[in-house]
Amino acid sequence: MSSVTGYESNPFGSVTTYFQIDDSWRSRTGRGISVAIIDSGIDVDHPELAGKVKESVIARADSKRVVFEPTDTGDSAGHGTACAGIISRIASDAELYSIKVLGAGGLGDGQSFLAGLEYAIKKRYRIINLSLGTTKPQFFSPLHDLLDRAYQAGCIVVAAANNLPQPSFPSVFSSSLISVSKSVETDPFHFGFKYGEIIELTAPGVNVRTAWPGGAYKSLTGNSFACPHIVAVIALILETNPALTPFQVKSALYALAAENEAEARHAEEGSR
Amino acid sequence: MSEVSGTLESKLTRLVETVDIANTLTDPLTNSIENLMRVTASELNSEEASVLIRDGDDGDLRFLSAIGRVAEHLLDLKVPAGKGIAGFVFSSGQPMVVADAGGEETFYAEVDKRTGYSTQTILATPLRYNGEIIGVLEYVNRIGDPPYAPFSPEEMDKAALFADAVASLVAAYESAKLLRELGRKASGDDGGFEFQEVRDWLASVRAAPEHVEMLDLAVLIREVAARGDAERQMCREIIGAILKYSERGSERSFLSF
Repeated sequence: MSSVTGYESNPFGSVTTYFQIDDSWRSRTGRGISVAIIDSGIDVDHPELAGKVKESVIARADSKRVVFEPTDTGDSAGHGTACAGIISRIASDAELYSIKVLGAGGLGDGQSFLAGLEYAIKKRYRIINLSLGTTKPQFFSPLHDLLDRAYQAGCIVVAAANNLPQPSFPSVFSSSLISVSKSVETDPFHFGFKYGEIIELTAPGVNVRTAWPGGAYKSLTGNSFACPHIVAVIALILETNPALTPFQVKSALYALAAENEAEARHAEEGSR
Repeated sequence: MSEVSGTLESKLTRLVETVDIANTLTDPLTNSIENLMRVTASELNSEEASVLIRDGDDGDLRFLSAIGRVAEHLLDLKVPAGKGIAGFVFSSGQPMVVADAGGEETFYAEVDKRTGYSTQTILATPLRYNGEIIGVLEYVNRIGDPPYAPFSPEEMDKAALFADAVASLVAAYESAKLLRELGRKASGDDGGFEFQEVRDWLASVRAAPEHVEMLDLAVLIREVAARGDAERQMCREIIGAILKYSERGSERSFLSF
């Protein structure tokens, strides 16, 4: 635990008081923590991701249902690989599970997105990275139900906020998931928490250098890339405290962000 | 001509009128999209811009309009569903900035090879209309010499606003195009009707002085509408007054019989 003071107004108190989390999580690697990435697939041959992707499945329309089957189609868009690269860099031993719903073909985007989330919940992956969302109102209710199911199953869903001035689902569901928007911060542990705002967490999301299909690397900007930063931090915290519930994880993030803020304030005061 | 065929004829005449008005609108719309791209690209200190629209129902895209050095090489080029940055932005609805976009995986790569142009930084944002994603707006590279600064989060926000305006024009273009295609089918260009008699009739409808006058009127209204809100409002009020006057006139003439 750092010796930071100045978070007396934090209604949760210090992280140590409530969850017995000391600073050791910062040096963990996410070992044994399963992370589902619902996205455009992952380039499993990328040097940074080799051996880390435990399973890759793709959505396929089967009559009126959506089924998932193993795939080696990789990532045609690059987005999923970029998210996986960010997680892997911070939580290098986390187990990644690719659920490809974008570019799967023959499926409505919303339909495959929902099915992918349901699949991840059924598999009880510990953390679910949703750097995607939908603005279509017809998905509001089914997504809400799925998020409640995830919460009850102990799956921690982390969603990227819409980059556009328009609410997207599920990132606006404040109770049952963790929503993230981008900041210009570069240190993954220096995330922020804006209690009371619809999108609560902020994390690095501007010019983030990460893996890209074909063994490449790219610098990317978007809320999509802030989301995996928080996913990776949660993987580290869960390694030290595997039994934390989604609610406790969110509270821990809140308390840690308050520490970050106090630390920044302290540093600013010291420099005057 | 019997009463039934008379009704059909008037319906077909109305269809031809609508289609021809749509034709007068399509080209100005693509010009407007291009102009808007030029203005907004300059605002973002960018060199190239393009609009990709959906092509069929499987998530494929094609370039509708482009400005810049490689514009002519991009037009009508197709991007398969979910492929590359544009494919992702279209299917996810999320904008994205890539600072070092060069490489085989971008759809510009082929054009780069052919032209020697080098795509380095991209800002791609979805085009939304009525809650649907109908395409992608992209800005590529900066004005001046490389290396180019990546697009900033503030520029992403600006581009999202520009995309709203472009999306309205693209939606109007798509509607006009649909009507144009219907017209082509009806006139036999696509083998829809093969009867010379019908084609002759269509030709006569189009050649009729009242039809030509109506198209002139449509062009005039379009020009007024393009001048601004005040002009549009005035135009609406004047047309509304003419309609009211005309309706009252019809009532009077009906009562006098």
